[in-house]
Amino acid sequence: MRAMRQRLDTWLPLIVLGVLVLAVGLYDRTFFSLGNVLEVTADTMTLFLMASGVTLVIMMGGIDLSVQAVASMTSCILAVYLPELGFFAIPFAVLGGIVAGFVGGYVSTRLRIPSFIATLAVSGAVLSAGYWFSETRSINIPGELSQKYLSWAVGNFLGVPNEIWVGAFFLVLLSLVLGLTPFGRVVRGIGAQERAVIASGIDVDRVKIAAYTLSGTMAGIAGVVMAARLGSGSPTLANEFLLPAIASIVVGGTAITGGVGSVWRTFVGALIVQVVRIGMTFMGVSVFAQQIVFGVILVAAVAVTMDRNKVLVIK
Amino acid sequence: MAAIAVERGQMLGHWRRWAPVAVLLGLCLVVGLINPSFFSFGNAVRMLNTAAIPLVVCMGATFVILMGSIDLSVEGTIALCAVAASMLVTNDLTGVTIGLWSVPAAILLGGALGLLNGLVHVKLRIPSFMATLGIGFAGIGIATAILGGVMVRIADTDFRNWLSLGRLFGIPAAVWIAGIAVLAAWVIQERTRIGRWIYAIGTDEQTARNSGIPVERTRILIFGVAGLFYGLAGALSAAQIGRGHALIAQDRLFTAITAVVVGGTALSGGVGSVLNSVIGVFIVIVLANGMVLMGIEPYVQKGVQGILIIAAVALALDRSRLDVVK
Repeated sequence: MRAMRQRLDTWLPLIVLGVLVLAVGLYDRTFFSLGNVLEVTADTMTLFLMASGVTLVIMMGGIDLSVQAVASMTSCILAVYLPELGFFAIPFAVLGGIVAGFVGGYVSTRLRIPSFIATLAVSGAVLSAGYWFSETRSINIPGELSQKYLSWAVGNFLGVPNEIWVGAFFLVLLSLVLGLTPFGRVVRGIGAQERAVIASGIDVDRVKIAAYTLSGTMAGIAGVVMAARLGSGSPTLANEFLLPAIASIVVGGTAITGGVGSVWRTFVGALIVQVVRIGMTFMGVSVFAQQIVFGVILVAAVAVTMDRNKVLVIK
Repeated sequence: MAAIAVERGQMLGHWRRWAPVAVLLGLCLVVGLINPSFFSFGNAVRMLNTAAIPLVVCMGATFVILMGSIDLSVEGTIALCAVAASMLVTNDLTGVTIGLWSVPAAILLGGALGLLNGLVHVKLRIPSFMATLGIGFAGIGIATAILGGVMVRIADTDFRNWLSLGRLFGIPAAVWIAGIAVLAAWVIQERTRIGRWIYAIGTDEQTARNSGIPVERTRILIFGVAGLFYGLAGALSAAQIGRGHALIAQDRLFTAITAVVVGGTALSGGVGSVLNSVIGVFIVIVLANGMVLMGIEPYVQKGVQGILIIAAVALALDRSRLDVVK
């Protein structure tokens, strides 16, 4: 019985995705065409990239609320410096994400501030930085520059949109990091039983800072891909992405209490969020009202996945 | 030796208690020295007026934080209540005009949303930051969906005068209302059972439960009370700018959290007071005012507030009470 329950938990997100896809497909047959499937997946990739790094943080039992500000900031850095620095604007922009992630992790662990408040505070500073880089404007990326430097993110390869290749690359990379490296095992361990990991002599703070840095990095990459897709950078570009990103992670089955989870679950979760969004658009639910549904989905998914044995008092 | 240690502990506690006041006075002095117009009556009224809505918001937020929880739904609740209030007075979108009755309506709507926060958090046993994050986003979503992206213009001059523009002894109505809100919050904190229970729950929930305090009911109620204050803040916001739209509450959450923690209320719960938050609000407002007087770009403020949050939380945190920080 227990084994069955566990197996069901593992496959539930995939089953939900399958049912949703079928439901939307019955409504509109063209949904199943290869072109449409690729397009939907490509559209999901920025959300997945943003959520993939946060997955590691949530698996440790923390949270990173700064990702949408970070992605917006990196989109500004990219758009501002692309004409000057050319290709090097990309690593420079991602560096912005790395720094923001590192600061969030450092503040949370070394100053011992709960992660949701530390990352919220950092997101304030990051937002200011975004406004500073962009001088509070939205900045267009000229077409020829985009063609030259950003085609790896927005073109096609073997008939598959490049967003999917980028997403798949990071899906595999992060899965390998989590599954095969000591770092990945410690991340899981911190989420499962932090005191035990501390007692076994591992420098928990260093691992945590590394995970937050990775989260900032992925948010930075998501910002770059987003700017490439939209052809502009703006200090509010990624607004309204935080809620779907956290929803993707939790809907995928990663518990916010930590210890359980994986990056492919977030991938499935992001697809679920995207299909739900498409379904709502079909049914004529306005883009604004969709936030309401995501709020409800988030709360429901947290309620289902949370491991209440781990926390005595829920604050 | 032990006596000295205790004494030093008390000294430290004493110092921590008065530190926010010292910071506020120091800040006033510095800004005043740089720009003497800071001390003018006009500037004081301007600052009081800016402080009015944050004060009301912080009264609610403080109660929640004193329990060791957090309410991230502030912006969503204020936005929805502001939109509701502006649609209930004379406006260019709906035919409903209930005048000043829209204020209690907005307050009750806020209270209902707060109760929803509390119910979801307590009954579904979800951490408050997660429950309120979801509900807050939903609130903004509802506000946007009602308006379909447009905004409501308020044509009711009574509403605007009574809640914001009108003056008594040269001080705007919003400031008087904020003063009443502070008084109400102080009475709830000091003179009611539930006010005392907040501290018990924030200090040690298990002990509070064992000593017979209805922890669940108190938690839900306090989220509801916080919602009442956000509802009032929503009505005030609508009256202040004379319009209602979904982004009316932007940055309110950030300012509120900054003010509460800078005022000396600990995020871990049990330590602090609504009066601390009053000091905190003025620290934030004086700093912002000073930055404007010094000609610093307004968008820098959020960054400065972020750094303030980190500094204040780091200084005030009682580290002996937590071993694992998530």
